[in-house]
Amino acid sequence: MLKRRQVFPLIGLAPALLWRRRAQAADPAGFVREVGDQLVGVINGPGSTVDKRGQIRQIIDRFVDVDGIGRFCLGRFWRLATPPQRQDYLALFHQVLVTSISGHLGEYKGVRYTLGRVSPHDDTVWVGTTIFRPNNPQADVQWVIATVDGGQKIEDLVVEGTSLRLTQRSDYAGFLQHNGDNVQALIDAMRRTLAQASQG
Amino acid sequence: MSRWLSPLALPLAISLLALLVTACAPRPPADDKEAVADYRETNDPLEPTNRFFYKTNDQLDAVTLKPAAEAYRYVLPDGARESVHNMLVNLNDPTVFFNDVVEAEPRRAGDTLMRFLINSTLGVGGFFDVAKHWGYPNHDADFGMTLALYGVPPGPYLFLPIIGPSNPRDLAGFGVDIADWPFTWMTNGTTIYALEWAYYGLNAIDVRSRVLDSLDQVQKTALDPYATIRSLYRQRRESQIEAIRNDHRATVPAWFPAPATQTE
Repeated sequence: MLKRRQVFPLIGLAPALLWRRRAQAADPAGFVREVGDQLVGVINGPGSTVDKRGQIRQIIDRFVDVDGIGRFCLGRFWRLATPPQRQDYLALFHQVLVTSISGHLGEYKGVRYTLGRVSPHDDTVWVGTTIFRPNNPQADVQWVIATVDGGQKIEDLVVEGTSLRLTQRSDYAGFLQHNGDNVQALIDAMRRTLAQASQG
Repeated sequence: MSRWLSPLALPLAISLLALLVTACAPRPPADDKEAVADYRETNDPLEPTNRFFYKTNDQLDAVTLKPAAEAYRYVLPDGARESVHNMLVNLNDPTVFFNDVVEAEPRRAGDTLMRFLINSTLGVGGFFDVAKHWGYPNHDADFGMTLALYGVPPGPYLFLPIIGPSNPRDLAGFGVDIADWPFTWMTNGTTIYALEWAYYGLNAIDVRSRVLDSLDQVQKTALDPYATIRSLYRQRRESQIEAIRNDHRATVPAWFPAPATQTE
């Protein structure tokens, strides 16, 4: 049983904890810096490509609304997919997003970024960054932050004006259009492409 | 030498010819409303022809422009490539200026004029982007964007031989920009003519070298690279046009003494 002496400090701590949550919610730039620093830390840190991908996946699973983006990318075909297909698709989509985001940030050492303007866009907040990668021109990347289940999540990356999730959706729609709207064919193709990408 | 033999006139002529030999994408049945909506949104009625040229261009690129761009990136260090890029951007500034003026964007036109004057002189023929550090940032402008600002819709998607992704509006803009580039009209001497070809050649290598990694990524990871590039092209153009629409900077430069404001 807790004694009064022990409870009081806890009560005192509660507003501080709440305040921290609020502060986090109100600071999308800080949120992007936290995610960005972690990602850049992994890319520039030691370890093999496979190790790094594993670490990047952990960061993405924690800060990115992967399932939401996955459902968006499948568009109207989400409704046509059977529950096991949805499950397979989302599992593969997590890996797709890791490859895609790593691709935009570069997988080679020497990547760095600067934070730019924060601007509200409908019910999301866009945080601007400029990414510098060796051997590549600098790129303007906007991080789209939304509130999902009370917490902040990355909902999209807009690279030089092109939305990652919209592009991915067009890719899948194009594929499905030429494969008889067959979701299973899409899942198989995703699996093949990921296997090839991890070998190359 | 005829001015119509400008290096860019050739791909333009081939593209126009290609448009004459086209096949159409089948329309989905009218009762499948979602498929019809997708078809409209994609707005790519010439898809089979476009896909054919996409494939041809891709094969041609793999043995020409891509290896050239890779070699270029391998031989020249980052800084040197950036200088060549600056020089090419500077040579294109007269076209950007023309479009800024036609778009009735005085602030942007002023930026471009100052950029051209500063970088051509202090920037040693454009190799160094001095103007950027003096508050005159670079921006995009071409006649396709200008037409868009005048309310001309893009029209159906086109993938053209050599030129690549486009649409009727941007293709028309491309033709106009050949004409509004002053160097097009300086084809009286063989040297200038050769320099013009060198400019277009170097420009192609520069543009390709800047997207080497991104295009590789698309080709490696996309399930339908054609559809992915179609989407990327449209989004990029739309964002460039939006950037002009949203440029509400005051026309008065930052160094100009601010007029006294009345306080109550």
